[in-house]
Amino acid sequence: MFEQVILASECDVANEVICAPADVKELFELPTVFHIGQLAVSRTMILIFLAAFIVVALLYFGLRKGSVIPSKFQAVIESLVQFVRKDVAEDIIGPEGVRYAPYLTAMFLFLLVGNLFEITPLINFPITARMAIPAFLAIVTYVIFVFVGFHKNGFRYLTDIIWPKAVPLALRWLVGIIELFSTFILRPLTLAVRLFANLVAGHLMLTLLLGSGVIFIWNFAEAGAKSLVGVAWFAFGLGIFLFEIVVAVLQAYIFTLLSAVYIQSSVHPEH
Amino acid sequence: MEGSIEVLKGGLALMGYGLAAIGPGIGIGIVVGNAITAMARQPEMAGTVRTTMFLGIAFTEALALIGFVLFFIA
Repeated sequence: MFEQVILASECDVANEVICAPADVKELFELPTVFHIGQLAVSRTMILIFLAAFIVVALLYFGLRKGSVIPSKFQAVIESLVQFVRKDVAEDIIGPEGVRYAPYLTAMFLFLLVGNLFEITPLINFPITARMAIPAFLAIVTYVIFVFVGFHKNGFRYLTDIIWPKAVPLALRWLVGIIELFSTFILRPLTLAVRLFANLVAGHLMLTLLLGSGVIFIWNFAEAGAKSLVGVAWFAFGLGIFLFEIVVAVLQAYIFTLLSAVYIQSSVHPEH
Repeated sequence: MEGSIEVLKGGLALMGYGLAAIGPGIGIGIVVGNAITAMARQPEMAGTVRTTMFLGIAFTEALALIGFVLFFIA
């Protein structure tokens, strides 16, 4: 909603084909809603707390009774929790994966709600499109898998990465350098950036297409026959909208899956 | 003069991102294509294949993502 106001204020319907702000950053910096002392609370911060609150409420009300014959709502929440616990934690990490299931479940549900904000009417802003959320979660996963690696294997965790015994001697140093770089730098970086980039791209496409569509159709008098372009943008935007539902769910799943895989590689480093 | 260099930089960054997307595009195509072949041959393994496919996509995608980030940094 707010993004469309930005688009509308800058859009010259008579001369342009699509409405785009001068700087796309404007679409991701939401305005301050109120102040607590010196702290300016923006809409993004409210949405982050809303997402956390929704997750806690879903889990609390879904699993409160724990009846043997579950209600429909309880069955849905149970299947979500069971999905992360069994299909992600146990299948990837192994029997000891149950220990990491609470972290993975909390992360998966938070990301799912945060990503789905992208396509929720009246909210329309994925909190994961601000780098803070993916970066923080990636750092937490990074700390967990490095800690678990050293805790389970001692100093051998590091030496196995730099000097892998399975590789022929002539290539060992090269593989070691690549592995060191990929494990400690690329892994957390790509984990965070994957989620961030997917949601940024999705939010940009939805805002520009649907926003331009609405503005061109709204300013029918000024744009004339060009408002037909708006209809095309709007239809295209609706197609992307359906695609973004899949992306939102898939990216939450992939983030959780990759966290599990990274933890697994620390628990059983020889695989 | 200043402005034209800025425009040139933006264009180059855009081309760089386009080049960075070629490899992962081909790679993801190969990953998904082979996963579909595997699922068609052994439907009972579909669950495992799907999980592994997503992992493969995620690793292949990394190069395109680095390109995407560099596009914004440049």
